[in-house]
Amino acid sequence: MSSFLHRVFLSERPVYSHIADLETSFDPRISLKRLRRYRPGLSEAAHYAFMAAISLYVFIEFPANFFLKTLCCSFLGLLFLMPATSQFFFNGLPILVWLSLYFMSSYIPDSHRPKITVKVLPAAETILYGDNLSDILATSTNPVLDVLAWLPYGLFHFGAPFVAAAILFVFGPPTCLRGYAHAFGYVNLIGVILQNGFPTAPPWYKSLNGLKAANYSMLASPGGLVRIDELFNMSLYREGFKHSSVVFGAFPSLHSGCATLEALFFSYCFPKLKPLFFVYVCWLWWSTMYLTHHYFVDLVAGSVLSFVMFTYTKYTQLPVDTSLWCRWSYAQVDRYDITKLDPLRANSNDIENVPLRGVEVDFELNSMDETSSRTPSIFDGPTSVSRSSATSNTSLVEYPTEVTVPSPRVNKQRFE
Amino acid sequence: MKTYLNLPKRFLGFLPLYIGVEVALGVTILNKCSGLFGILALFTGHPLEFLQWVLYLWSIFSFVVYAQGLFTYSKPSLLVFSQIFIAFSIDTFLTCLFTLWFTNQWYTLEDNTPTQKSIAAAAMQEPNQGASQSFEFVMTIFITLASLIARLYFNFVLASFVQGLLQHPRYMVDYVDVEQELRTQPVWKRVWTRTQIRCLRYSKQLLT
Repeated sequence: MSSFLHRVFLSERPVYSHIADLETSFDPRISLKRLRRYRPGLSEAAHYAFMAAISLYVFIEFPANFFLKTLCCSFLGLLFLMPATSQFFFNGLPILVWLSLYFMSSYIPDSHRPKITVKVLPAAETILYGDNLSDILATSTNPVLDVLAWLPYGLFHFGAPFVAAAILFVFGPPTCLRGYAHAFGYVNLIGVILQNGFPTAPPWYKSLNGLKAANYSMLASPGGLVRIDELFNMSLYREGFKHSSVVFGAFPSLHSGCATLEALFFSYCFPKLKPLFFVYVCWLWWSTMYLTHHYFVDLVAGSVLSFVMFTYTKYTQLPVDTSLWCRWSYAQVDRYDITKLDPLRANSNDIENVPLRGVEVDFELNSMDETSSRTPSIFDGPTSVSRSSATSNTSLVEYPTEVTVPSPRVNKQRFE
Repeated sequence: MKTYLNLPKRFLGFLPLYIGVEVALGVTILNKCSGLFGILALFTGHPLEFLQWVLYLWSIFSFVVYAQGLFTYSKPSLLVFSQIFIAFSIDTFLTCLFTLWFTNQWYTLEDNTPTQKSIAAAAMQEPNQGASQSFEFVMTIFITLASLIARLYFNFVLASFVQGLLQHPRYMVDYVDVEQELRTQPVWKRVWTRTQIRCLRYSKQLLT
């Protein structure tokens, strides 16, 4: 078995490359030594300050025994101190903070909560998109569609982040999973803050109560998922939604946010499967509206949040090259230089930018050929396509590694 | 270059314009997916008015136009981005009209439905937890205006990006070569490219 794994994953490992290695030490002194040398930049300082502020709020407000809370925090502190565990917990910190705030949400006293809006979302949806798309899609229901909607909403959504993390860890470049954890944590954390700060009623509320004012004593409804309970003769969703932590948290949709983020990261690492990921997001969007859990405006807000967070993560944390077989195939990791990538960057007075006939013809013909003009984007593996440029002043500078570092993958293509 | 155009030179004041274009197209494409779902009314049997059909079909068309740019913003073609810029500008204008129309629809039709009669009574029961009617109204208008303002800003970012492409020698277009190349292309591609050429001419008139 081990020789099989070695052959599959480590056979292409560049000699002397340790970039994909994991920490194996449990000695806290190593972490303490690193901590003494650590000088955070402005963004890192802001990140840890934000995490600390939310954690402190949860610690104070969470209605549990002070001793138990301290014990729990001490245990977490130990995990953060040991290098073997801290490499995961430091990068997953936004996820931990999000989960703590999410489960804390149900304990926020009603007197501290903002007032619930019931008309804003249907009104905004009608104004911006012409109608309540949720109404359009939930007009006619049948058991086949119920199951089709339940699959992404009730099943895949909960397992997908773990599957995505495992796949990105093995088949993505080193540090890709770190970027995913960061973006995933922040999307959900910002989402829960928005849901608590701007409570909004989902479409099922409008179906049950019209547009009358809501109150926090109301329980969440499973919406269309009640039909799944009936279909399988169970009360999983009827009971489950009674204990929902955020009842009036329609805006933004974190189902949509998570699915979009998974699709963006997968599209980044496996660009040939982009259409599949797009279809998955559309499928999940349809299911949330069909099951009357979200308005379209919630879905767009969740996806926009993920898109913006992904774009930020891409330019600040993600490796440029995602084309190799697995994490152990990479010799080094290069980040984006947003200035050098700028297509408007070159000086117009530069002699190299004076259009040459041959170059121009080539460019224009390429521009009309969709297959040859496809260039790196958020939906595209950055180095999976040609980096050649009409002029030479940027191409060699932008991706020095392509010239200087030979690709370890000479024979083996990644299965995509 | 037209001096009266004071277009943004950086996205949000500190980022390169191509990142603004990427964000603008990504966000707008996500919004334009509404057309794909709205058109599903064909299968669900939900009644749609004429203007709703127009909105959803236009959304699908603009989705296709913008999608070309999402894959080429880092190595742009002037023809493609001129088309996107013109389509985006028309879209901004149409969005304002649609917004006005559907705002009127919501506040004339929805506010007169029987369910509204219960609002006051329900609000009396739980006066402290449900938002007031004025708050609901203000938030709706806020979201609507914020989305329109963002859209307008994205339009200016796109205009500035296309202006940059127009001024950059690397992206100059040789019309003769384009026309020659078109002879061997299928009809739909000829129509599509001729539209792009027309958009490029309009863009030049507007931005240079």
